[in-house]
Amino acid sequence: MSVTEYDVIIIGAGVAGLTAGAFLAGRGFKVALVTSGEPTACLSTGCIDVCSRDHNPLLGIKELPPEHPFHLVPEKTIREALDNFQAAMMDMVIPYTGALEENRLVLSALGTFKTTCLVPSTMEAAPQDTKDSIHIITFAGLKDFYPSYILSRRKNTKFSVYDAGVSSTMGIASHFEEKEFLESFIVWLKGQNIDEDKIAFPAVLGLESAAEIVKTIATRIGKPVFEIPTIPPSMPGRRLFNALTDYFRKKGGDIYWGWPVIGVEKSGKIIEAVMTASKGRPNSLNGKAFILATGSFVGGGLVAGRETITENIFNLPVHVPGPRETWFENDYFSFNHGIGRAGIKVDSSLRPAGAPWENIFVCGGILADTEILKNGCGHGLALATAHMAAKSCMEYIR
Amino acid sequence: MNFEHCIRCTICVENCPVMRVNPDFPGPKQAGPDAQRFRLDREKTEDEWVLLCSQCKRCEMACPCGVEPAEIILKAQQIYGMGHLRTAAHLLFANNYYLSVLGSLTAPLANRIAATKVGKKIFSAMGIATYIPFPKFRFRTLHSEKKSRTRGIKKVAFFYGCFINFYRPDIGRKIIRLLSSFNIDVVLPPQWCCGLPSLGNGNLTLARFFAQKNASSLSNYIDAGYDIVYSCTSCGQAILHDYPDILEIPQAKKIAENTYNIHEYIVKLMDEGYIKPQFQEMRRKLAYHIPCHLRALGIGYPAAKLMSLIPGLTCEILDDNCCGLSGSYGFKKSNEATAIQIGNSAVARIKKTGAAAIVADCGSCRMQLGGLSGLVTLDPAEVLSEALGITLEKKRKS
Repeated sequence: MSVTEYDVIIIGAGVAGLTAGAFLAGRGFKVALVTSGEPTACLSTGCIDVCSRDHNPLLGIKELPPEHPFHLVPEKTIREALDNFQAAMMDMVIPYTGALEENRLVLSALGTFKTTCLVPSTMEAAPQDTKDSIHIITFAGLKDFYPSYILSRRKNTKFSVYDAGVSSTMGIASHFEEKEFLESFIVWLKGQNIDEDKIAFPAVLGLESAAEIVKTIATRIGKPVFEIPTIPPSMPGRRLFNALTDYFRKKGGDIYWGWPVIGVEKSGKIIEAVMTASKGRPNSLNGKAFILATGSFVGGGLVAGRETITENIFNLPVHVPGPRETWFENDYFSFNHGIGRAGIKVDSSLRPAGAPWENIFVCGGILADTEILKNGCGHGLALATAHMAAKSCMEYIR
Repeated sequence: MNFEHCIRCTICVENCPVMRVNPDFPGPKQAGPDAQRFRLDREKTEDEWVLLCSQCKRCEMACPCGVEPAEIILKAQQIYGMGHLRTAAHLLFANNYYLSVLGSLTAPLANRIAATKVGKKIFSAMGIATYIPFPKFRFRTLHSEKKSRTRGIKKVAFFYGCFINFYRPDIGRKIIRLLSSFNIDVVLPPQWCCGLPSLGNGNLTLARFFAQKNASSLSNYIDAGYDIVYSCTSCGQAILHDYPDILEIPQAKKIAENTYNIHEYIVKLMDEGYIKPQFQEMRRKLAYHIPCHLRALGIGYPAAKLMSLIPGLTCEILDDNCCGLSGSYGFKKSNEATAIQIGNSAVARIKKTGAAAIVADCGSCRMQLGGLSGLVTLDPAEVLSEALGITLEKKRKS
């Protein structure tokens, strides 16, 4: 068995795990991150929701029920987490716009508004009300993006279709990375003689250079241009994930892809190592501290059985909101499904409550009582608790 | 993991290099788990597009639910192969081993013919792409190397693979010297093609024939106390992943447990305190292209770990780029355009790093990236040898 020593082992490659990892690696700790696959962040809109309950996210957080994990993070730390995130993304050339005092709106593919806090610069020009007239450009054959939905909700909206020669999200996005393609597209767009105030696109404008591509189109056409997030495959989610990964690595962290954790070595109050599956023999990663950031149900951090909900890596006690009857409401689209409160309860240092281990910290979507859909707090909570967990971890090791 | 575990999240689709550039390939989700439902119902699926999958296995590394789309497609490729007439290129590459034996025996002549215009025309007529030069056969293959036996700390049987044996025996010799410099005994066990080219070209029977021959040979060496070490990451992938799975080799479990990547093995011996390599300074910047099959092995990037110990060497890890060649995949005329496009985007990212040379564990990645970029390509073992002062020149008497 190959044994490798690290200061901190992080499990989970989502926004929380990668952020905690970059924080610690940037402070000189030897950090390894293991993941069994890519995170749900890839499927997200790439927007950072902090709290959508109020126009001001900070006030929204104050309104959250007392057991919400956001209350464990001091406002100073939330601010620091968002500042650090924006600086990191600037460094990775996918700048984010927005401020903690004021939420913004993003136009959805249905023509509705999504409330969020920080948006990729490609969505910065999205209308904040129904006044602006918009011209939507979509692509021949692109699935699951239909301008008619938006047209039905907004007046002064028109659309045109461009044939990119390919119809998949990834195919169109990689075409936009080619100079000649972009050039001929701009020539076509100019020929459309668009009168509307703004030009909207499904979020397929490039893989990693989207910020630059949106800027180029806007400058050349002389009108504000913005992207509308799509259902997966979601380019803004992938760009965010790629940027977080590159940043973590730039800070000196190691990533182990496809390393599902299959066992844990413990002694007394200490977790000593995690074992991961591989074809030949298990790998063992020793660490002084561990951060669990495996997300909730879709991410694989929590597993629901018929009557129980479990966390299968460390077997931590999971807070279950009540008997199974209370897990789901009859209305599928309700924000109040009881299962949204399931997760790991933690103490003020983000150590799991009711577990004997002193060197494990929990952050992100796996936390209990988050009700992420209802409170609109996904990536924002992940950033804030990741900072908090990383700090607790740092204090513990020192 | 069963194809029914697929939640259709499309993370695999985001990772597929072929789908980005070839609209004819419906992507890992559709060609894998989606189509599998119909295949199981024995519905006739005219899915010749399964042949467009290059088997890079990036979808499997990305899947958060443990589904193996590439494996499902590989099995569909074998079934397709049984029911359809094979093209000349498929037949040739499936039998690449025999071709190479012949090529190396007649090396001067074979190489000269392959390099001429007439040779290229013949290749072209058979459906073989010639956009990068075909590798040169060596008359003195690695297998003709004399065995060195001492009483070392460990006994290693080296599975060198066809690429090293027929085209780059010099790298094989360096690896032998590298291991010997740590006082490890190295023998070259009787071996044949690992079977992957046959599998990749739809000839399951031939793949199983090779695998069975190798398995008996390697198994005997394991019984005699040898560890098996491989250097080609695709051979490793075949031995560790395909022998126990699709090829159903009885000794596969025992072999997998005792088989190591060369760099994984060195790291292991360092961890266990057997060896302490003293690397000399090397003021260079290298781009480390991670072959898809190294990523898929689930052993991390052990060569990166070793190269990070070389003073003065900066080594930027690029693990998000498939090179596009995928062994014999890109050498087929029908895949040429796909392979070149994927390769060019990998080269663009490599050039962005400003590195003077490319390091990659896989011979076919090096062929492709070197051919398309004009940059020098190195095997990590060559870099380590240089840092340890190991050369192939005979020692001068002083």
